[in-house]
Amino acid sequence: MKTHFPRRAAALIASAAVLATPLAAQSRVPDAYAITNARIVPGTGPTLARGTIVIRNGLIAAVGANVAVPADARIVDGSGLTVYPGLIDATSSLALPPAPAAGGRGGGGFGAAPEPAAPSISTLPPGLRPELLVAEMIRPGGEAVTAARNAGLTATLTAPREGIFLGQSVLINLAGETPQDMIVQTPVGMNMAFNSLRSGYPGSLMGVFAALRQVLLDAQRYRDAQGMYARSPVGMRRPAFDPSLAALQPVLARELPVIMYANSYPEIERALNLAQEFNLRAIIAGGMEAQALAPRLKAMNVPVLLTLNLPRRTAAASPDATPEPMAILRARVDAQKTAGALAAAGVRFAFQSGGATNPADMLASARRLMQHGLTADQALRAFTVTPAEIMGVGNRLGTVEAGKIANLTISRGDLFAAEGRVTQVFIDGRQYMVPVQTSTMSDSGDARPAAGSTGAAEGAARGLAAGMWQLTFNLGDRSQAATLTLRQEGERVTGTIRSELGEAPITDGSVGANGNLHFRTSIPMGAQTFEGIFDASIDGAAMTGTVQVEATGAIPFTGRRTPPPSSEPQVGGRIPS
Amino acid sequence: MKRFSRGLGMALVAVATTGASAQQRGAATPQPPARPAAQPVLIRNATILTASRGTLENTDIVMRGGKIAAVGPNLAAPAGGRTIDATGKFVIPGIIDAHSHSMADAINEGSYSVTSMVRIADVLDANSPGLYRQLAGGVTTIHILHGSANTIGGQNAIVKIKYGRPLDEMMFPGARPGIKFALGENVKRSNSIVAPGQERRYPATRMGVADVLRDAFTRARDYQTSWNEYRTARTAGRNVLAPRRDLELEPLVEILEGKRDVHAHSYVASEIAMMLQVADEFGFKVKTLQHILEGYKVAPEIAKHGAGASTFADMWGYKLEAYDAIPHNAAIMTRAGVVVSINSDSDERARRLNLDAAKMMKYGDMSEQEALRMITLNPAIQLGIQDRVGSIDVGKDADLSIWNGNPLSVYSRVETTFIDGEVFFDRERDLANRAKLAAERATLEQAEPNRAPGAGSGRGGPGGRMNNPPASPTPESGDRR
Repeated sequence: MKTHFPRRAAALIASAAVLATPLAAQSRVPDAYAITNARIVPGTGPTLARGTIVIRNGLIAAVGANVAVPADARIVDGSGLTVYPGLIDATSSLALPPAPAAGGRGGGGFGAAPEPAAPSISTLPPGLRPELLVAEMIRPGGEAVTAARNAGLTATLTAPREGIFLGQSVLINLAGETPQDMIVQTPVGMNMAFNSLRSGYPGSLMGVFAALRQVLLDAQRYRDAQGMYARSPVGMRRPAFDPSLAALQPVLARELPVIMYANSYPEIERALNLAQEFNLRAIIAGGMEAQALAPRLKAMNVPVLLTLNLPRRTAAASPDATPEPMAILRARVDAQKTAGALAAAGVRFAFQSGGATNPADMLASARRLMQHGLTADQALRAFTVTPAEIMGVGNRLGTVEAGKIANLTISRGDLFAAEGRVTQVFIDGRQYMVPVQTSTMSDSGDARPAAGSTGAAEGAARGLAAGMWQLTFNLGDRSQAATLTLRQEGERVTGTIRSELGEAPITDGSVGANGNLHFRTSIPMGAQTFEGIFDASIDGAAMTGTVQVEATGAIPFTGRRTPPPSSEPQVGGRIPS
Repeated sequence: MKRFSRGLGMALVAVATTGASAQQRGAATPQPPARPAAQPVLIRNATILTASRGTLENTDIVMRGGKIAAVGPNLAAPAGGRTIDATGKFVIPGIIDAHSHSMADAINEGSYSVTSMVRIADVLDANSPGLYRQLAGGVTTIHILHGSANTIGGQNAIVKIKYGRPLDEMMFPGARPGIKFALGENVKRSNSIVAPGQERRYPATRMGVADVLRDAFTRARDYQTSWNEYRTARTAGRNVLAPRRDLELEPLVEILEGKRDVHAHSYVASEIAMMLQVADEFGFKVKTLQHILEGYKVAPEIAKHGAGASTFADMWGYKLEAYDAIPHNAAIMTRAGVVVSINSDSDERARRLNLDAAKMMKYGDMSEQEALRMITLNPAIQLGIQDRVGSIDVGKDADLSIWNGNPLSVYSRVETTFIDGEVFFDRERDLANRAKLAAERATLEQAEPNRAPGAGSGRGGPGGRMNNPPASPTPESGDRR
């Protein structure tokens, strides 16, 4: 390896696509960091106006105003930065294999990830199998995880979204090379949604409740039968093993909470009724209309994983259309008040992304809630210590304290102020820089439509990235050039990047309707391959962004589109209907 | 008044409502909170169509503690109460709709031909705006049924339309449990297209429907036996494991034991005879036959079985099995001794059941009381709640409505609707509230989340109608639900 070093270093410097410094390439992942001169909001106790955080071996080693900086620590100058406990998205479907294309009834129905690879001996249909462990489905990497990290998130409770028993959810850190690196706690809860199955029984909402009731009754009987057999097997026919009913035993014993997806008032009411009927330890996920049920939630000690995917009108109504019902108008406005009302009622709640396509909206939504009765402290708790406590990992996550997992979210300016911007996160003690974005994160987020939305937004995004781009990388004292050729199909982007080093395909390419471009490329150099992660913002014929290479900071670049114009090379392009 | 999103009158452009705050609703813990008894009311000098004992002119009614406390001339105003002068006005019992699908977030569990395990009560939405419109038509109690997708459908719910209250306060206390059965075209899927690759669900003929019924009740008998044996063994002191509880068969055992009523959707004479035959074989009674447009052909047989009949006034022809219908159906069955009700099967028609009842005076020469009974006392009898509601009699629940003219006239309208002595619709209050609601709407439309995204916002929201402009209303479609 050593003999290759000069050549590799030269290649790195020459490369337009991979711009790691020799130093960075040599020392790939520092073991220790010291964030100095930072404002620290520890999530417990008072804010430190100026302090140091030492991170070592993935953990927070020390926090304080007068903490010594170890000699081997990489120093992160925290001047002007504020350090928070790492933000947690309390319910998502991150790091899971993609669901198959929606079909059947209205995107509802089962059909996504819960289909286990191995045939199951369960007598229950897929979608109704509580034994499913989401931990076994975790897939590291992916642009969605990167996007979440760039929005300041460091951990999430993840589970598929289709089916009735969605799986036993897992708390993961939003970084790591392997599933084992990512998993923090499993199982956290039995995630459950009131979705009918795509085909067969239950095919309706009332069927879902009947099926759940039957499965839970069967689980009770399974418990009784197994108990009876364990006490006295002689002369008793052995009760048949059932993986589904066995998996429900911790639920019946209230050891494993049931995380019930319910947003509307009737949904929450039905969920609580079911929990009461079977004496389950319930957690409500969604909770958009939980405000009116706050007294009951409080009385039953049911926490809420509250959605930050706030409802809003997305299209102007046709002049001929019936006016929107008052209920809808009220519900959109009232959803902004739910968090404040839950806080006032003493109901514990944590924030979740609620299936939103753009994780950056989470902070914008939290700011909106703060205009409707939520304090900054309550908002921070809902992102950090409360989800950690609800998930039973309050002793590991949720605050900036020595001994805890080094998950930190760092912002320039206050995280909950309009001008606040996440600059980097630490996850398991590893630093991840957030690419600089051209557009500031406005409070409303209204200035730009988000990635991944449907219909009109996709149409707007069509062809945004396609074409040939001349990129210029700013290496401080010099610059480097590369040519990027992109093809676009919907939000998916493919293509190649060519520099002095040669040509390489791009992977994980995507572009949102807002012009946010993301892709990766791998550059082989000697015996090693380095990965570059590109994030850019496209504005017409101009592109600005950053590339991250392992263990280095973000290197800025700009790009200009060269003819032919973007609308031409729609290779395999399909006009979205 | 502070209103919560799913609060009262929520989906109507301009309605007035009784008040219920978020706090009141949220207090809907397992046990409904004790509410103060309704203020006593004296209705003075009304024309009362009692539905039980004819018309009483110039008569007063006193409502106290949610009950009808007195009916008669020149009653004293109750202490602490209010008096309504009903001179020139009419009072009738609260209308009961014997066949409704209001407020249900799901109608059919169509996967299997037997889905007795599903419960309509699990999927009710207490804030469905159709409920308020029905109050404005004098309806106070509705029988909410599973749809007709399968032979044995789900368990029903009987609800008092206490619009604005939590769901558990709306459930009719002590109502007899019921279940929907269905026969004929819908369950054998004559009129539905089987998607490619999908198996056609059994049965495909009316013979098959009879077989599904016999098979289900045979299984229910076996299940009943297994539990009886278990109970015997327990009584004998043996330590045996209880049989598996089967939520599909439990309600069928309840039918066999006379604890649950069958309401069977049916049209043609042959299948009506079949249904009664199967019931006789298994020793239970069909409580009502629903729709039953050919009931006039087998009216004596229905009367002999003791089943009630709940039909439409004059809606037919929407499919082959609904062709052989006549508007005299209800009258002919009544003359044969069948207890007949007129139902809506539709949120829209439910608002004007009084007119459907009035048609029976034209088509079947029914008396005013006979016609009125078809939407009050008769459905009460069919639902087993006639001791509580269905007529203006002392001791019954104070469920009634005041009309500005004879309710069987097309020119009359409801002024006030009472349930358990409380006002749930009042026309004057509604009119007075419209300006306030219009102002609230204007404010709401200006709120940021409700502004149309002219300035360009297309964020992905949680989906559903909250994030979209409303679709056009769907037209009514026969009895498919």
